[in-house]
This record gives sequence, structure tokens and C-alpha cells, in this order.
Amino acid sequence: MRAEVLVVGAGPAGLATAARLAEDGHQVRLLARGNGFTHWGAGAIDVLGRTGDRRVEHPLDAIGELADEHPYRVVGVDALRSGIEWFQRTAGAAGLEHPGTLESNRDQATALGTLRPTCLLPAPAAGELDGLVAVVGFEGFRDFSPALCATGLQRRMAQDGVKVSTGMVELPAWNHPRYFTAIELAQAIDDPDFRARLAPGLARAAGEAGIAVVPAVLGLRAGHEPWADLERRTGLRLVEAAIPPPSVPGLRLFNAYRARLTALGVRWQLGFPALGVERRGDRVTAVRSEGASREISIRCEQLVLATGGVAGHGIEALRDGSLVESVAGLPVSGVPGAGEGAAATDRSVYVGDRFLGGHPIGAAGVRVDVELRPVDAGGSPLLANVRCVGGLLAGHDPTIEGSREGVALATATRAAEALAPAASQAATGQGGASR
Amino acid sequence: VSTMDTQVVVIGGGVTGVAVLRDLARRGIQAILVERSDLGTGTSGRWHGLLHSGARYAVRDQESARECIVENQVLRRIAPHTIEDIGGLFVLLPSDDEAYAEKLALGCDQTGIPFERLSGAEARRREPLLTSDVRLAYAVPDAGIDSWALLRSMARDATEHGASVLLRHPVTGFERRDGRLRAVRVHDLVNGEDVVIGCEWVVNAAGAWAGGIGRLAGVPIRMIPGKGVMVVMALRYVRGVVNAMRKPADGDIVVPQHEVAILGTTDAKVDDPDDIHVSLADVDKMIDMCAQMVPAIANGRALRAFAGPRPLYKPEPAAEDQSSGPGPAPGGDGTADTREISRTFTVLDHASRDGLENMLSIVGGKLTTCRQMAEALVDQLADRMGVTTPCTTATEPLPGADHGIHRLADPLAQVETDGAYGDLLCECELVTRARVKAAVDAGVHELEDLRRQMRVGYGPCQGGFCVWRAAAMLAEGPGGAARPDPLVGLERFIEERWRGQRPTIWGDQARQLLLNQAIYRGIFDLGPEVPPDEAVELPAVTSALLAAPAGAASPARGSGSA
Repeated sequence: MRAEVLVVGAGPAGLATAARLAEDGHQVRLLARGNGFTHWGAGAIDVLGRTGDRRVEHPLDAIGELADEHPYRVVGVDALRSGIEWFQRTAGAAGLEHPGTLESNRDQATALGTLRPTCLLPAPAAGELDGLVAVVGFEGFRDFSPALCATGLQRRMAQDGVKVSTGMVELPAWNHPRYFTAIELAQAIDDPDFRARLAPGLARAAGEAGIAVVPAVLGLRAGHEPWADLERRTGLRLVEAAIPPPSVPGLRLFNAYRARLTALGVRWQLGFPALGVERRGDRVTAVRSEGASREISIRCEQLVLATGGVAGHGIEALRDGSLVESVAGLPVSGVPGAGEGAAATDRSVYVGDRFLGGHPIGAAGVRVDVELRPVDAGGSPLLANVRCVGGLLAGHDPTIEGSREGVALATATRAAEALAPAASQAATGQGGASR
Repeated sequence: VSTMDTQVVVIGGGVTGVAVLRDLARRGIQAILVERSDLGTGTSGRWHGLLHSGARYAVRDQESARECIVENQVLRRIAPHTIEDIGGLFVLLPSDDEAYAEKLALGCDQTGIPFERLSGAEARRREPLLTSDVRLAYAVPDAGIDSWALLRSMARDATEHGASVLLRHPVTGFERRDGRLRAVRVHDLVNGEDVVIGCEWVVNAAGAWAGGIGRLAGVPIRMIPGKGVMVVMALRYVRGVVNAMRKPADGDIVVPQHEVAILGTTDAKVDDPDDIHVSLADVDKMIDMCAQMVPAIANGRALRAFAGPRPLYKPEPAAEDQSSGPGPAPGGDGTADTREISRTFTVLDHASRDGLENMLSIVGGKLTTCRQMAEALVDQLADRMGVTTPCTTATEPLPGADHGIHRLADPLAQVETDGAYGDLLCECELVTRARVKAAVDAGVHELEDLRRQMRVGYGPCQGGFCVWRAAAMLAEGPGGAARPDPLVGLERFIEERWRGQRPTIWGDQARQLLLNQAIYRGIFDLGPEVPPDEAVELPAVTSALLAAPAGAASPARGSGSA
């Protein structure tokens, strides 16, 4: 098997990079261990939600305050802008509108009644909350509690004059297991008949309120149409609140990417973890993988690693305190005190004192140059035909700072620029980056 | 300041204190137990869960061994529902001294511990994950025991016989006149008021904390807390308990318990029983040593680590103890290793020892022997009080005993019988929403109580997926707006769970940490602004904890003998 460009990883960065490269005419193959962070997140496009412990209101302004190693500073704000524009265009074309701008963050309601800062929201989650708001749950769905959500929203929004009530909808009869997941419920809501029977109860449960906050399960396969249809049928503004994984909005996006990549002729294999590389000089010639109990080798001219950080298997955190990049054995930085091999101190450096306070291993990553090539301690490229994108990059903690999707899109953009025929010089020359 | 009166105040809500309370109540003696936190929050909740056969002590500490095998049989009779009858093996590895095998056989014969000699191959047929170079094994009647279930049952039996339990009531002092304690002063942490409990007798069953209670009463008690570190693995690995066939040492036991295995243990002298710090080196040592017996553990997934203080006691050389228990075994002194101190127990009568007429302390001992310890103490106390009613705790089954021996598959069988699959709130521990709802309706309003009662948050995800669901059910429960902010309780629970996870973050558990963080910080946007309030006051009476499973007795103040 061979590919011109092999992308490893099917999270937000791998999917976007594969799509952009294929759009540019490359022959792309995508290989991944399994589903990535689309399935595990809040279903929004985070660009920069927090710096330190401070909530960010204006992402573009805050990017200027980031350290030089941060991926945004490495690839430059123009790459981020281009990535966000590309995403809004591409997602919109797939029926997944994502309103929002880089100028200011917005609030995303969650099942706990908190309001998380994010940049772009899928349209079903983008409605403003004001006046009378009803939090409405679906009978039998265990991952959303109107009481819990409403308690939190009331505490946070009372000063804005928001009044929150709760309601519960009995689901219409449907063919389902006695207890069901968000995905099963979302698939039921894909059916227009089901929605027709659901809408009257939903409207009743909202009572006097003109706005209903509901769990993010309003349809899976049909994009945002089920949500829009339910808004029309109920006369309510419906706002999807983020629930714990798996993320239905994330799955909608994943499905859209999958359709796009298939249309672009990208071959992909999920369930194939990349285990190592074959090299010649400073070039990777092939990636070794394993699936269906036999090892395979995929030859490639260019390799893009979108394997994520420790959370995504891109980096292994070993018991002795050493951090190892999983595919090409690249040096890992970003965790002060953590070593490689003999240099290891101990694993106490991985974590912080408080669970909610952030942990150094969340920021473990690979340092790269302006073209996203991995570099050694002195800043010289280690492998000429390898690019790293997304969560694998050093200099950021995607969860703590709320930057996962923004970094994915910005670095996917830069990777596509770097691999554009005869464009690598130009990319370096225009370099919005900081080095 | 409010006041109440009783005949006996028992200090300490571990297994010893609760066993004493039960024994007193069954003999018709009025008693109130006071506990600074919740039942089983000291050593009784921080141990590996082994019901000893006694074989561990059969060579060096035979008195302990005899006590263990007797009580092992008694607890199987009176508390089968708290016991998982999994048996145990002592395994001899190539690096172990063969002579110890002969000493162990002799010791077991001498102390009445039945054992079966197995070849290495036979041992591996019983325990397929044992190392292939095991040379020899003895099968002994070790078992697993759930100390929280035992505590709940004993406390329920006691309250049904008229005793009272005051939780979150730390002792602040005594009223002492003319060589007698006239009253115990406690502080009600929930209502923020002092309570004076007038009494005729005081029993100090504070375990590793008995020295501190002694100081408040003006009597010296030299406790030597021996810290034991344990590691929780995500799988059971073994069908029964596996012990190293050697002199007791660090990392010599694997105890399968519920869905996990617990590796034990270290034994180091500490100055403060509240010192439960776990070092990374301790965790590594437990894993490496236990992996010598069960190699798969070396690459396994460690969920968390914790430590508990053994309530070890050594009399001052000059002191004359009026001990009803046998004396301490000979052993070294002043060393950092507390293994040489006997595991047997001692009743201290402070009348003859210190001139304090009406206080007894019970020190040393083990969970396996808690009932016998209580009997010895209450025999002595009843004699002083002129009560002649005999002890019945060894023959009368505890509430819940009709369930029979607990089997690992019971919760799953129950879920399947009820057709409740999918209604699981906690997938790791098979806790259904129906059970949580029943507990919430019965008055539980702390996530911590759900954890101890139902094991919510104990599995591989360490609460990642279940705890917020439980918080939601608490928010939906009775009381509504009067409840504290559910997110504060949620953050406190998550941070408490985190403390035990810190030393075991690598490999898969590092990914689990970042996933849980992606849920609670990333999606839910909790923290870091709200600092967890360690001093948040907890409810005084965990009625549902005591009342489970039938939801009957709720030992509130004054409902008993007060």
C-alpha cells in the first residue's frame, strides 16, 4: 500500500488536514487508531477560551499574549483565520452552519447549567438565552437532568433577568431499547414522523417560555434539519446544551467530514494504529500499522501526524516519568522535568495538585518549525517530510485553554500550505509566525 | 450547649467501636457511639479487605493467628453477606526460603488453621495468572470482606437494640472529677453546637487515634501507627487471595475485591495517624513485588493508591497492663518497621493502670477480630458494671445475613433479573438509577455517602461518567432548593477521588485523567475558580448508610438511650 500523503489520526486536526490536502489535489490516505476528539468534546469550535485562569472574551486579542511556542504563534493568525473561514464554508456546505467570529467568544450552555466560552457554535446550540427559558429533558434519557441544568443556569443568569423553569417530555412510542443513549435518541429524532409526534409535548413542556434548552440530541444523520424542523413545529427557539460523550454534534461533524473525504477520493482505515515508521536518512518512507492481527506497511512520500497528545495516544506517558511520541519516536517537550529514557526523573511531574487545576501532561507535545516539521532541542528539523498538527503540538493544553479545534484548523491550514507544490518557500517567506 | 445522658459512651466509628456498641446494646446496656467523621473513615475504610485465615501470622504471632481463624469462622456465620468466599493461596517463589514453607505448615497445625498443600502445577490450575515458576502453594481459608457492609450491619443491629450513633461529632474533651469521667464533650459539626454527654463509662475505641483520646482524658496511651500503602488495580487478576510465602514484607498480597484487585502493603511507623501520604516509590514497589507472583500486574492499569494507619500498640516496658487480651509478642523496638509488633489486641483498664476509674481503651487488633475484641472488652466492662447478661454477638446473625455469602456476580445477576441493563448510573460498578433513587429518597444527600454505600465512582473511570449523573439525581431529590449547590458537592467529590489517583497516573490512566478532565473542565467548564472547601460541614447522621438495605433505623439524637 502507498500514498502520496499519509495522514495519521482522525480527530479534528487529521480530518481537516486530510480534507484540505485532498482539495488541493493530493492523493491522500488516512489511517487512525479509532475515532478522535470529535466524539469526546462539547461539539463546538473552541479557539481560545481561557488564558491562565481568565476567561477570554476576544480570542484574537488574547492570542497576542500567548508564548512563542504556542501553535497559534508558530503558524500565525492568518492561518487561523483561513482555517476558520474554510471550516465555516465547508461545514455550511454540508448543512452544518456554525455561526460565530474570531473577534469574540460566545457562551455554550452545558448540561450542568454552566456557560462555557467557545468561538463557533453549531446553529442548534447558538441561540441566545434571554427572558423566560425552559430547560426540557426527555423522559428516560439519563444523561440530562433539567433540574441540575436549570439550577446552574438560574444561578448564572439571574442577574441578566433570565428566569428558568424545567419541563419533561414523554417521548412518543418508538422502537428502542428500554434505556437508550444519546445516539439512539438522536437517530430517532432524524425521523420526521417521530418529530411530528414529539413536537406538541415539547411545546407543552416549555410552558410560557419562548426558549427551550434541550440536550444536544436533535438528530444525527440529517445535519441541522431536525433541529430547524422542531423549531418550526414548536414555535420555540431550541438551544442544544452540551452533554458528556459521545457528542452528537461532534458525530454530525465527523459524518460530514467522512462524506467529504469519501467524495474527494481519500481512502481511510480506522482501527489501524500506527506503530512505527521506516526511515531513509531524514525522510520517513513508510508507516507500520497493525489491523486484523497482521502488520502492514504503508509507503508514503509525505507524512502528517495528527495523533493527538497523551489523551489521543499520540504520546505515551510511561511509569518511569518518560514521555514518548508513539509513531516516529520524536522528542516530547512541554512537561518540565519529564525525561526521555535515562533522563527520566519521576512521574510526579505529570500532574498538578488539583484535578480541575490542569496537569502538565495535558500540554506535552512535539516542537515544530514554522512548516510544522518536528525539531530537535536546537530547533533544527529532524525529519524533512513529516508535519505535526493539532493536539500533538507542544506549547498548548487544548482542554485547559479551550483551543482544540482552533489549533486543529490553523495547523491543518499551515500543513496544506507547506505541502502545496513549490509553495513551501512562499509559506516560509510570508511567515506570519513568530520565529 | 445541649446535654444528654447514657451509661456508656463509645468513642470511634470504626469496626472496633461499632462492634463494641453492638455488644453493649445486645446486653441491654445503654450506649452512644460518637465518631468525628463518618463510619469507616479511618483504618476500617483504608485497608485491603482481607478476612484473615490467620496463616499470615502462624509463624511469628501465633496468638493473632488463633484469634483470626476463630473469628474467620464466626464472621462467616454471622455476616456471610459481607464476605466473598474466595479462599487464599500462599505461594512459594524460587527466591523464597523453602524452610519457611515448613515453618508455615507447622504454625498452621499449631494454631488450628486448615490448609491444603498444592504443587506448583496445581496452584496454577487454580490461579492461571500465577507466575509459572511457583514451586509450591498452601490453600487457606482466607476470604474477602466488605468492611462498609459489615459496619452498616453491625450499626444497624446496635441501633435496633437501642443504641445511638452520632456521626460528625468529634470529642473535644472530658469532664473529670474525683478520678472519674463524668461526661464526654463533643462538637456537633453540622449544627455547630457543643454537646455534653453525661455517662457512667467511657470506651476508647479510637484505634490509631486512641492516643489522642487518652491525652484528652489525661491518660498516656502509646500508639504506634503503622502506615500501610495499598494500590488498586483495574482488574481482579486472581480468583482468590494470593500471599507470598515468606515472612511478612512489603508487597506480599493481592486481594481481589468487587471489580478490582488491591495490592498490599507497606508497614512503616508514622508519628501521626492522619499521615496517609503515598509516595510513588511505594506504588512502584507494590506493583513490582506483586508482579513477581502475578506477572500480568506489571503492565496492568493501577487506578489509585491509598494508605491507612494500623492501630498498633506497644506498652511502655515498665507499664503494668491489666490486659484481658494476651500480651504483645516479643519483637524489636524503635525501628521504622512496625511488622514486629503483634497484631493481637489489648484492653487497657485505666483504673488500675492510671487511676482513672471508669474508662477502658481497646488497642491493637485487626478487622478480622473486631467482634472478639469487643467481646473481651465488654466482658470486662459488664463485670465492673454488675451486668451478667452473656455475650450473644458470636451466635446471632447480623441484619442482612439471610442473603448468604456475597458472590461477585450477584450485582450483575440482579441487574439482569430486573432487566435493568442500560439503567446503569455507574457502569463500572453496576449501580442502577433505581438504587440511587431509593437512597436519595431515604435521605442520602452527599455524593460521598453514595460512594461508600454503593461504590459509585470506584471503577476504572473513577467517577468520570457516573458522578455527575449521581449529582443530578441528588439535585432532583427531595429538599430541592434548600440543598447546597450541587456543583460544589461535585467538585469536592472529584477532588477527593483525585487525591488517590495522583500516584498512579501513567499509561491508560493518564489518558483516563485527560478524558475526565475533558469532560469536567472541557465540556462542563468546572473550576478552577471555586476552591474545594475542605471544611464544608457534612450531615450529622448518615441515616441511609445505617439503614441500608431495609431503610429502617435512623439513629438520630435522642432516639436511643439518651
